[in-house]
Amino acid sequence: MISELLKGLQTTGRYLFRQPVTVQYPEVKRPVRERFRGRHELKRFANGLERCIGCSLCAAACPADAILVVPAENDPEHPTSPGERYAKIYEINMLRCIFCGYCEDACPTNAIVLEHQYELSFYSRWDAVYPKERLIVPPDQGYGEVPPVLKELGNKSPSPPAQMDL
Amino acid sequence: MAEDITLIIDGVKLTVPEGTNVVDAARTVGIEIPVFCYHPRLRSVGMCRMCMVAVGIPRIDRDTGQCLLENNRPVISMFPRLQTACTTLVSPGMVVMTSTDEVKRAQRGILEFLLTSHPLDCPVCDKGGECPLQNLTMGWGPGTSRFEYHNKMHFEKPVPLGDLILLDRERCILCGRCVRFQDELADDPVLGFDLRGRDWHIISKSDPPFDSKFSGNTTDICPVGALTTTDFRFRSRVWELRSVPSLCIHCPVGCNVNLDMRHREVMRVMPRENLAVNDIWICDKGRFGQHFVESSERLTTPLMRRGDQLVQVSWEQAFETIAERFVAIQRKHGGTALAGIAGERLSNEDLYLFQRLFREVFGSNNLDHRIGTPGDLPDDDIGVMLGVGSGTSLVTLGKGTTVLVIGANPEEEAPVYLLHLHQMVKHGGELVVANVRPTKLDHSATLSLRYRPGTATQLVRGLLRVVLEEAGTKHLSQKTTGLAELRAALNHPMASVVSATGVSEDDIRAAAHTFLQAENAVIIYGAEAMAEGTALSQDLGSLALIAGKTGKANNGLLALLPWGNSRGVLDMGVRPDRGPGYAPLASAAKEREGAGGRKAAEGAVQRGLSAREMWNGVVEGRIRGMYLMGIDPASAYPATRTALEKVDFLVVQDMFLTPTAQMADVVLPAAAFAEREGTYTNAERRVQRVRPARPAPGDCRPDWAMVQGIAEAVLALLKGTDEEQGTAKEPRKKLKGKKREAPGGAETATESPGPSWGYLTASEVASEIAERVPGYQGIAYTRLANAASRGGWGRQPNESFYYGGTCYRNSEGVGIQYPAPAELSGAGFSLKPREVETTSASGGDTRYPFLVVTQRLLYDGDPFLRDSQLLAHVPAPYVAINPSDARSLGVQAGDRVRVASVAGVLELAARVSDEVPAGCVLIPSNLPGAPLSMVQTGLQTRVAVSKVGGRRE
Ligand code: SF4
Ligand code: SF4
Ligand code: SF4
Ligand code: SF4
Ligand code: FES
Repeated sequence: MISELLKGLQTTGRYLFRQPVTVQYPEVKRPVRERFRGRHELKRFANGLERCIGCSLCAAACPADAILVVPAENDPEHPTSPGERYAKIYEINMLRCIFCGYCEDACPTNAIVLEHQYELSFYSRWDAVYPKERLIVPPDQGYGEVPPVLKELGNKSPSPPAQMDL
Repeated sequence: MAEDITLIIDGVKLTVPEGTNVVDAARTVGIEIPVFCYHPRLRSVGMCRMCMVAVGIPRIDRDTGQCLLENNRPVISMFPRLQTACTTLVSPGMVVMTSTDEVKRAQRGILEFLLTSHPLDCPVCDKGGECPLQNLTMGWGPGTSRFEYHNKMHFEKPVPLGDLILLDRERCILCGRCVRFQDELADDPVLGFDLRGRDWHIISKSDPPFDSKFSGNTTDICPVGALTTTDFRFRSRVWELRSVPSLCIHCPVGCNVNLDMRHREVMRVMPRENLAVNDIWICDKGRFGQHFVESSERLTTPLMRRGDQLVQVSWEQAFETIAERFVAIQRKHGGTALAGIAGERLSNEDLYLFQRLFREVFGSNNLDHRIGTPGDLPDDDIGVMLGVGSGTSLVTLGKGTTVLVIGANPEEEAPVYLLHLHQMVKHGGELVVANVRPTKLDHSATLSLRYRPGTATQLVRGLLRVVLEEAGTKHLSQKTTGLAELRAALNHPMASVVSATGVSEDDIRAAAHTFLQAENAVIIYGAEAMAEGTALSQDLGSLALIAGKTGKANNGLLALLPWGNSRGVLDMGVRPDRGPGYAPLASAAKEREGAGGRKAAEGAVQRGLSAREMWNGVVEGRIRGMYLMGIDPASAYPATRTALEKVDFLVVQDMFLTPTAQMADVVLPAAAFAEREGTYTNAERRVQRVRPARPAPGDCRPDWAMVQGIAEAVLALLKGTDEEQGTAKEPRKKLKGKKREAPGGAETATESPGPSWGYLTASEVASEIAERVPGYQGIAYTRLANAASRGGWGRQPNESFYYGGTCYRNSEGVGIQYPAPAELSGAGFSLKPREVETTSASGGDTRYPFLVVTQRLLYDGDPFLRDSQLLAHVPAPYVAINPSDARSLGVQAGDRVRVASVAGVLELAARVSDEVPAGCVLIPSNLPGAPLSMVQTGLQTRVAVSKVGGRRE
């Protein structure tokens, strides 16, 4: 009988001296995988211009109809983004979003990227609608990646909206 | 007639009419040949080489002239090179192959080549999503390019072609569609090509640049995003738009449009195909001039006067006050002390209920739709009695047709008709244009007549005379009277006509001859003709009748009335002398009694006051209360201000706080055409329907609903007070209880309200119109939704290779053209000529030596142009003077001049133009801040012109 008892406690004993699996969230946060799809960020070009050119392709790709883009024409003197068009209004409703990442795939300038932030809880439904100000990264960081199609081009000049990368 | 030709395309045998090109032929059997430069409405030019196909024709035996046969099948000799399908016409026995390897290779090559210099702009390009270049690249393109990416041609991004259209030269594929549209259809050859090779690009040749009223259409037919409108640029992606079928209500053409909505905002206005109305085009006013709907100045709540101020009130308060005051006036001074004027851009439902309110509830025929200026055009009855026959489509006219345009400038009055008329001439029709001055239509005309101002009637009598001489009355098929009087009136020598009108006898004879000999003939007359009085339209009617050009399709009279529902206004009987459907007042009243209405008050049978008489009536104290719906007399005819101030009680119903509304006691906020259901009747008597595209701002209601609100409040009040008198005190009934009350239940005369009010939807009003207005039988909303021209033209699913982005197909209804009385048997017409009322150009007062020729402009002081970029195209008020007159007055272009008549004075900038006949001055009728009504003394006005002060401008 004793032997059975010990046998049963063996597993317990083994785990007693292992690293605990429980994480003390929120004091401790587990790192997420590289390709984790958390809250979106709108990236910038290295010169500080917004990558988003207001093309609405992300909104078109979104299966949950979570994105609203209202475009406008850039002021040539003080452009918001390269090229002629920028997103005057850019909103994502985090309550609708299913974090599928289609928007990221659709974006021709790699402007929208699903990053690692996953703490999304709100006191009101309206708080769940992230306007551009909450999505865009600060001007001095978060340049995002050069779109693969541009990498392929090597040193050849790309179309004006993406010229900033090279 | 063209013969039918049988050929084989990709193994499919088909038969098409002679003269068809291979692209169109293939399309009839569902075979797609991709095109860029070819457009079915334009000449084929073979510029882009996208439509390459392999073509062969049967080999002919030289000896016998027969096809060579081998195994009983004709021997086909293929052309050694590929052919462009758009320029290749079908021929008998032709064999076409559209998807051989060779063809595919050519198509890939062309696309690869087109894309060598095309920027990767799709994400920012407004055409993206409806772009033929995208679609064709996906369908026929190579997928990769062998060209160096960095070797693309770069241009400065958009350059303005005009203030409305921008050109992106990088995107342009130089198909020339825009150039050809302007040259061939719009007859404004303002675009052209410049430079060559890789620098080749489109430019505007005119000054001001892109000076055309049809410029927006080029952005539709451009197969890439090279042409964009400043209006829609970067506002939305096309796949996000929801298209709501609607109409343009700016002019009597009644173009079918789609309002492309994103959420609640109108993003753009696109043509919706209607082969009987606008084909696939609209003018720039229709496209860019609908921003008034979203103006921030729209009224949103009912307003009521408290002292000097207009304060917001609830609907109940507004209706109750209106009812109390109107009933008080009715009791004290009779129903005829009330008068109403309704605008001509309201729907039939509004207008029908408006006249019902006045005729049935108030017992007054004081109804009008005109402002009451001395220059008000007489109501046009001949135009509708004869009308153009049902089934008329100006779009399809061509050989065998003569159109006589008299006293009209379609470019300004009904722009899209200009495209149709120009096209008709290209297809072999005859166009006779008779005007006092040159107009753009003269370029297209096969015969231009220039008559002296005020002599159009004489000219038409000259034509009549020739027609009678040539054909007698053998074509006269309708029942008519008054032929003898007509003959008597024509009994002048031809020489007198020639000397009076200044048109040579040969020209008169030639015009009459082509008119008489044509298989189909239409007379189009406009504002300048109507200003000559009803004698002219009467004679035009006689001309059509005697030449036998009435009562059938593509024949008859077409009057260019001023606004989008000017025909509906007359049909609904918003006029002092006729009831709905042109019924005489007495019979209209009888019918109402028959339908359960109360016995007609005396006022309801007598002719009422016209707008002009109303203003006098107010001043004389005969009119005490007025109801103005969608009309702004205070700005269009400032002389009415005294009357508007004096009238005891003024209700104004409008979208904006117009100068008239500011003088009102109660202002009711109206919903715009884009916010409601309704039907409108165009110049050709086609009844068409609009649908709500956006919610009305604030508390706005459709006009018909407000008329009903007033009617119900009045009836409730009448009923309530009658009961009070009868049965001591009983609280006054609130109007809410009145809904859907059965008629005829009450006893006293005032209580029986005729057919009940309480319509819940506009379609209920429309069904009542269909029941009770002669001519409108059977025009219910469900029938209006039938789309007869489905699939003819326009953007169609999976067919963007053909018309991508051009215009919307019409699946929502092409409208119903109701028959003109001339087509129904038993209608009798009088040929008896009327007195010519107007003074002619000669003679008259030496103090006022100049005769005013008025001109309607498309871009004028129209309040509906507010917030539109077209405002920049509205000229500053001006008067155009003949050079010789200008010299004798010492006036130069740009000088300020005083134009004075007996009635008043206007100060205008002078233009000097030899288009104006000597002894005349040309003044646009409604430029902002200078309404011509200030100097008008009648249909024709004589003025003195003098220079003021120094040179300005
Ligand atoms: S992640 Fe998916 S659901 Fe969320 S916004 Fe992007 S496309 Fe839409
Ligand atoms: S985030 Fe990307 S896809 Fe979305 S609008 Fe901006 S540029 Fe277009
Ligand atoms: S602007 Fe458009 S329509 Fe005109 S030539 Fe270029 S591609 Fe053709
Ligand atoms: S032609 Fe007349 S109805 Fe047509 S779009 Fe222009 S203004 Fe509107
Ligand atoms: S060459 Fe035929 S469509 Fe352009």
